Amino acid sequence: MRTIFITFLLFCFSCNHLIKNEEAKVEDEVLNNTLEENKNNTSITEKPLNIKPINKAGDIIGNWVGWFRKKENSEKDYYEDKRDIHAGEGFGWGRENKICLVIEKIEGDNVSGHSVVAGNQRVFKGKISESDTSFLIIANEPGDNKYDGTFNFYANKGDFSINGKWKAFKKIEIQEREYKLSRKNFIYNSAQQLSKESYKRYIDWEKGEKEYKKPKNLTEEEGEEFFRETSEEFVSATEKIYEINASTAELTKADVENLTKGDLLIIRNMIYARHGYSFKNRPLRVFFDAQEWYIPVHTDIKKDLTEIEKKNIQLLLKYEKNAKEYYDYFGRG
Amino acid sequence: MGAGLLIFIYLLLLISLQYIPLRNDVAFLILKENEIKNIHYQIAFFTHVYTSWFVIFFGFFQFWKTLRKGYKKLHLCFGYIYISLILCLAGPSGLVMSVYANGGLIAKTSFILLSILWLYFTYKAYIAIREKNFALHEKYMLRSYALTLSAVSLRLFKMILANTLQLPPMDMYKIVAWSSWIFNLIIAEIYIRRKFPELTTSPTAP
Repeated sequence: MRTIFITFLLFCFSCNHLIKNEEAKVEDEVLNNTLEENKNNTSITEKPLNIKPINKAGDIIGNWVGWFRKKENSEKDYYEDKRDIHAGEGFGWGRENKICLVIEKIEGDNVSGHSVVAGNQRVFKGKISESDTSFLIIANEPGDNKYDGTFNFYANKGDFSINGKWKAFKKIEIQEREYKLSRKNFIYNSAQQLSKESYKRYIDWEKGEKEYKKPKNLTEEEGEEFFRETSEEFVSATEKIYEINASTAELTKADVENLTKGDLLIIRNMIYARHGYSFKNRPLRVFFDAQEWYIPVHTDIKKDLTEIEKKNIQLLLKYEKNAKEYYDYFGRG
Repeated sequence: MGAGLLIFIYLLLLISLQYIPLRNDVAFLILKENEIKNIHYQIAFFTHVYTSWFVIFFGFFQFWKTLRKGYKKLHLCFGYIYISLILCLAGPSGLVMSVYANGGLIAKTSFILLSILWLYFTYKAYIAIREKNFALHEKYMLRSYALTLSAVSLRLFKMILANTLQLPPMDMYKIVAWSSWIFNLIIAEIYIRRKFPELTTSPTAP
């Protein structure tokens, strides 16, 4: 009798998936980040910008921000590139990422600096050459990362921007990229709010992945293909994402309890975006890259978070976890 | 229908078991951090969690004719457990918790009303059976159990709404806080009026 009772109890404890989502896990790549960014080589200047045209080599030093786009080799690439991702009507992503290219030093014809894009910070070293009308820079990344490659860009004298190409050393899905970057300095502004003008909807790729059960044995490229076909899921967010700022004031239970999963997620990650965090997570990256004010400058911002922000992150995480576990299940939290 | 209800009763058991061993930091309590610090809320919460399941479980058998007619002693025994658990433990603790309910004044009012009606109907059913008024006892027991079952309908409605309308969580909670027990009570009243048609005839009629 006793064994039957104990077996029954054990059985009950193991059936919790019926009342809650046991796999619910809230990802937070900032707090879980174990790779510490090497801040010695970061020279992101946090001061207002003095925009002047490029005349001498030294004028190129600084931060350059813009879109790191895939290179279109033909018209077909432009219209029906298989690498593009479409999620429902009116939403597509041409695989462009926002990049911040930092030119730190120019000594003689030696150039050094680093770039931050898609949660990846890489240093580069190369040569600069000058002609009558422009400067040409060719610089290599170290080569020990799958996504390392060569930057090749020029800056016309009297111009305000730099233009160029990037080519990967190894064979990867997007072998070549193009970019046109302009000067932009990063300044942390706790009052920064989401802009409605440069708004791009947040898409929950994971939800698509789960619902269509992505086979495990796919290569990375096939996996991308899979995402492309199954990412038609949107996270619903309300107008609250424009109103609530989790960097300026400590949020209360009343502020957050009626927020949807999408609201909570965006409000929390907005804290990281304000600090110039470069997102590895694709949906978040695409979402924040679209914000005009956003610049990816750091891959580790744990130390930059204020006390208010830390408290709010914990509160938001708690509600996100609860929403994932119980919102659409029989049990309630 | 009985079998379907048994499944839900089983799910409610799973929900209650989340709090064994006694823990302050799981499930519902994660969002009740401030309230659970108070000793009176702790007592109310754990009393409610550990007793309510037995209320719904023992109540389940009481409407079953075979048990009522053939095993009167068992019906009596289960009935004592049901009534005393509600009147002494689950009901008062539910009332204390409703004062602290999520969802603001709207949800609090609903839960307070639910707790009071639950205690009232159960008490009336008890008095009726003490006076051997079987029909009245049955009517009040139907009402009492309808409110007991709001534990199921609350969660079921929430699940349905979350999977269809996807409303913000607290808006949804306010809706289910009211609809869960009112819906059950309406069903119970309709059933009572059908089973005891004398209620609908006017007492002044000849």
